Amino acid sequence: MSEKTGLAPPKSPPIRLTREIVNAGFKQRVDELSGQQMDACYQCGNCSSGCPLAQEMDILPSRVMRLAQLGQSDDIIKSETIWICASCFQCTVRCPKGIDIQAVMDAVRQIAMDEGIDHFGPDQISPELAAEVPQPGLVGVYRKLAT
Amino acid sequence: MAKIAYYPGCALNERSSHLDRSARDATVRLGFELDELDTWTCCGAVPPVSEERVMNLIAPSRILKDVRDSGRDILITICDFCYNTLKRTNYSIKSDKITRKRVNAFLADDTPERDYLEKDDSLWEDYAGEVKVIHLMEYLRDELGYNKITENLSRSLKGLKIAPYYGCVMLRPQNEIQLDDPENPTIIEDFITSLEAQPVKYPYRTECCGSYLSVSSPDASTRLCYRILTSARNNGADAIVVSCPLCFYNLDSRQKAISEAYSDFKPVPILYFTQLLSVALGVEFSRQGFEKHYVDVTPVLDKIGIITGKEDEE
Repeated sequence: MSEKTGLAPPKSPPIRLTREIVNAGFKQRVDELSGQQMDACYQCGNCSSGCPLAQEMDILPSRVMRLAQLGQSDDIIKSETIWICASCFQCTVRCPKGIDIQAVMDAVRQIAMDEGIDHFGPDQISPELAAEVPQPGLVGVYRKLAT
Repeated sequence: MAKIAYYPGCALNERSSHLDRSARDATVRLGFELDELDTWTCCGAVPPVSEERVMNLIAPSRILKDVRDSGRDILITICDFCYNTLKRTNYSIKSDKITRKRVNAFLADDTPERDYLEKDDSLWEDYAGEVKVIHLMEYLRDELGYNKITENLSRSLKGLKIAPYYGCVMLRPQNEIQLDDPENPTIIEDFITSLEAQPVKYPYRTECCGSYLSVSSPDASTRLCYRILTSARNNGADAIVVSCPLCFYNLDSRQKAISEAYSDFKPVPILYFTQLLSVALGVEFSRQGFEKHYVDVTPVLDKIGIITGKEDEE
């Protein structure tokens, strides 16, 4: 765990790499859903340094990319990061390899939701908030964070 | 008066009606009318990224096809979310053959056959992305020209320092939106200059305000908005100008939570660009919906000698 404030600490213990895990098809599924090539990522970290929400995340966007390359599906879909991403496309426009990282985030969110993990339900919003937030916020949150 | 097809979207129809009304007032004074579509539905707010979510493309495609069928080729939107969704949907219909066929299969009146994807049938090419989706500010810049605004000013905003706030979906993703440079945009700055006010430079103008996290993780959004507002204030801004209803909500209403969390915070008034425009074009204050703002905007207008209450009495 990092003790510096403002740096997201690495959440998971050292990852386990076996041929079965890496080849189980998680990376292919992300590639397929997002239309991106996960293998293009060379870990420059531009996405993490530009992300306005990196401080709120438990694993950084660049780490999500690396974990996905290595097929570590559990670490990703159980992370907070995928639900904190606000889809602002900052990472997408800054990626030197042209990867649409926001699309990757959408893809892993969809995989998590397919496995029955919803982040935000209709019962979690207070009636006062529901009465005053502009509709794009309400539609957006349920489209992105719930099935 | 030229009539241009206009898609207001759900927020402008109700909760952000002051954005809608100030836009209509301002455009009439600039010589064109926003002609609201006869029928429209929600666009879906966020464009689907994953290929499997074809259903999310149908609502925006139907809106676009209706515009085409009514014989028009330009559609104006103001809400950044609608702009992003409609423009990106149109882009994928235009550039991706598979998406085009899938979407048209849903839009067609006849029931499609199972193997429609393999057939080369013009029915599935019916709507091919002919409509051009443009933001009202884009229309002012490219079609009308900002100099036309300056010519029509009824009161100059000289002396005001306005910070532009772009937010996220107005500019990004750049390859599909192509409104302006995503890292160093100037479209709102030029707009502010055309009103003879002074644009303020500050580093957070394209940084996200938290978007829909305002609903699911309000504290995260509070921290983001604090950074944006404080930065604008420290660089001398009298007010921030936005175009998106959700940015407006986050930056304006969230100042209540920010004041509670940060003792050094000083409120910053938030204005829609259309409000600033219609004030400069001479529309009455009573029509601006300033009472819907959490942070009082009167000090901004007082600063350049516009006393809000008085004018309406005259």
